Amino acid sequence: MDKTLKTKESTSVSRRDFFKKTASISAVAAAGLLAPATLNADDPAIMHHTKWGTTLGDGCNYHPYGIPSKYEHNIVRRTSALMSSAGDMHAAISMTPLYAQKGIITPNGLHFTRTHNGVAHVDPNEWRLMIHGLVEKPIVLTLEQLKRYPSESVIHFVECPSNGAAEWKGPQFNSVQFVRGMMSCAQWTGVRLKTILDDLGLKPEAKWMLAEGGDGSEMSRTLPIEKVLDDVIIAYGQNGEALRDEQGYPVRLLAPGWEANLSVKWLKRLEFGDKPWYAKEETSKYTALTASGRAIQHFYALETNSIITSPCPEIPWTYLKKGEMIEIQGLAWSGYGTVRGVDISFDGGKNWVEASLKGLILPKCWTRFSYMYKYEGKPLLLQSRSYDDSGDVQPTVNQEKTVVGVEGVYHRNAIHTWEVTAKGEVNNVQVRS
Amino acid sequence: MFKLDRKSILIGTSAFAASVVLLSGCGDSTSTGVASNTSKSCEIGVYKIIDKHAIDGGVIYARQNGVYTDYRYNQQSMKGLNYGRPATANEIKAWNVDALPDGTGLPKGQGSVEEGDELFEAQCASCHGDFGGGGKGYPQLTGGNQDKDENGIVKVLKNQRLLPGMAAPKRTVGTYWPKATTLFTYIRDAMPYAHPKSLTDDQVYAITAYILSQNEIKIDGVEMDDEYVLNAKKLTQVVLPNNNGFYPDIDGAKGPANVKAFFADRAKNIGMGTRCMHDCKDISKDGHGKMVAPSVFKIKYEMSDVVPPYAYARDLPPEVDTGLVSKGEKMYNTSCKLCHGTDTMGAPMVGDKEAWASVMQKGLHEVVHNAIAGTGGMPPKGGNADLSDADIKTIVEFMANSSK
Repeated sequence: MDKTLKTKESTSVSRRDFFKKTASISAVAAAGLLAPATLNADDPAIMHHTKWGTTLGDGCNYHPYGIPSKYEHNIVRRTSALMSSAGDMHAAISMTPLYAQKGIITPNGLHFTRTHNGVAHVDPNEWRLMIHGLVEKPIVLTLEQLKRYPSESVIHFVECPSNGAAEWKGPQFNSVQFVRGMMSCAQWTGVRLKTILDDLGLKPEAKWMLAEGGDGSEMSRTLPIEKVLDDVIIAYGQNGEALRDEQGYPVRLLAPGWEANLSVKWLKRLEFGDKPWYAKEETSKYTALTASGRAIQHFYALETNSIITSPCPEIPWTYLKKGEMIEIQGLAWSGYGTVRGVDISFDGGKNWVEASLKGLILPKCWTRFSYMYKYEGKPLLLQSRSYDDSGDVQPTVNQEKTVVGVEGVYHRNAIHTWEVTAKGEVNNVQVRS
Repeated sequence: MFKLDRKSILIGTSAFAASVVLLSGCGDSTSTGVASNTSKSCEIGVYKIIDKHAIDGGVIYARQNGVYTDYRYNQQSMKGLNYGRPATANEIKAWNVDALPDGTGLPKGQGSVEEGDELFEAQCASCHGDFGGGGKGYPQLTGGNQDKDENGIVKVLKNQRLLPGMAAPKRTVGTYWPKATTLFTYIRDAMPYAHPKSLTDDQVYAITAYILSQNEIKIDGVEMDDEYVLNAKKLTQVVLPNNNGFYPDIDGAKGPANVKAFFADRAKNIGMGTRCMHDCKDISKDGHGKMVAPSVFKIKYEMSDVVPPYAYARDLPPEVDTGLVSKGEKMYNTSCKLCHGTDTMGAPMVGDKEAWASVMQKGLHEVVHNAIAGTGGMPPKGGNADLSDADIKTIVEFMANSSK
């Protein structure tokens, strides 16, 4: 890449060549190439009038619902046969492009998806929510009636407990999108379930709640009352607009910090009872088989976790020169509470330094971390390790494996490693024994 | 004085800045909910915890004086809202069809293993394999050795693929599932995959019977042969081999407390890290039980069959010609519509039949010529010199045709 550039530098770079080249290489390399400092010749991006500077732009009515720039068309959710059943994309997962994630709010079109029977399209006029069982007054709500309740807006990550599950036995994908993309973060708007229950009257013998979806899979899960009365939301808003179909339009449950599977989409029914239901997705699936041969059930909160999103295989350091400063940054989160800090290791976990947290620091929410690093062109084993205000510290692969084994599928939060080569390439590796 | 006021206004205008500066971890210290204290103990992201051992092992934050962590909330009463309407008994009956392991909620009906065999072959085997044996990419339902060890644990579930060649644990109805009632509700609510809820209760009992029989389950000591007929009572009597294979114990009055106790000891029960900063050791047992220091494992077989394929260029997407927008219309949109898309600019508006009938009286050739050379208030080629004469003709034809 850099070589090609240097041979071109001596001759003048025609505008056409310049854009052709820019288009054919990776976005990241392009960003480096576009920096005028790397070009000796005058930068044609400056020396010529641009097409957009000399023509009329679109009218304000061109896209009544706005869309991303055409140039960002490669920033999309991706999936793989491994994330589906036999390549069937109805009971499948698509991953958020974390390398392109800005800040802590995932755009609605890039929010990861997990469906068990395809994306349902619910007619909001025929949508009903039934709340019954051990309540004084069983009710039925229409969407308009639900929205009459006082609303709350909260920013929480939503993560599939299978996030990173492809890596229990070793690295498989060379991409941060596939290593950790089964999660997203959004501002959710809805009604705190406790607000409704205060109105209906929850009977004291109620210990569990069944949340049931209305899609073809009729996804259902049992939640304990303690959580229900703490911070569970019945959500209809996602980042300022209605939920997307993929997120359960018109209404989903939101159990902050917990397995996303418990945040039942296309919500249809809430039943309160004194016994757990053993719903289908809390027995055959979403139970974590440990090395003892027994499985953890009702595994709720997602442990503290972190991932470096820059550099990553998609955003390598191949454009850096020795001595240049570069920000290492990433995301940390915890379903137990609030991220308190993140440590960074350059040697595969032997020695650690503290990174800075930046931006908003909220409970059960993505938290940005940052570390300014002087690039030395040496191979690194780059890791991040988060800890939270509940006392949880992200484990090494060995620490996690020692307690639960490698067949649990769910709740994998071991420290992740990126190998940075002497050339600045970034690869997914695993430090373990 | 005025300077101070101004400063407080500046802080107040940014909700986030205000909350971080004034509320974090301190919101409980004054009766108004807004602390004036900005001492060092009032760190960003440190929030008032009222329960350090929530049921999930995490924390519960205080909601006090309108403050919840970095959020504010409305403290006014929200009782007596009375929205929605009472659910009718029929409505509850229609939707409340879940079933508990004790049989509560199971419907009437019955089905035999033989009937289930036929149904399974016709509607289930294409995904779950012959006899539910898997191999088609969807869950395997039957098979796997159900033998238990001396502690009552199904042996095949202890398999760990720590080293190459080690066998995977088997997770079928017979080896893994704890409750047979789940099998019934699963099939009834969500199967067959492409046509959920299309089976009658009798058919669901039959398929459930077939899957249980293929897993060699005995009910009350009785083997399930072809003639065996399953109903609600018999289904409730099923004890699956791995019934006790799950923890913590969620059943009974102590269920929630058991869950809470389990997650309170996370280091022991699910694993936790340590915040070592220097010269950290991280050794563990390998698949043979030998203590070994960590080493770097690279990707052996990269999973790269991703959809859509990896691509990072910031370029224009390949143009897909849907045929819905003609070349003439595209050029019209970018070069002519500003004036011809409205009747306020003095130019004949596209869609105005009378205006265009009048224009076209001159003949296509003349109109194209005028458009190329400029006419009235219109500059040559509408001011876009990049358009060829042929382009102008295409555009004029589009405009005239759209105004008939």
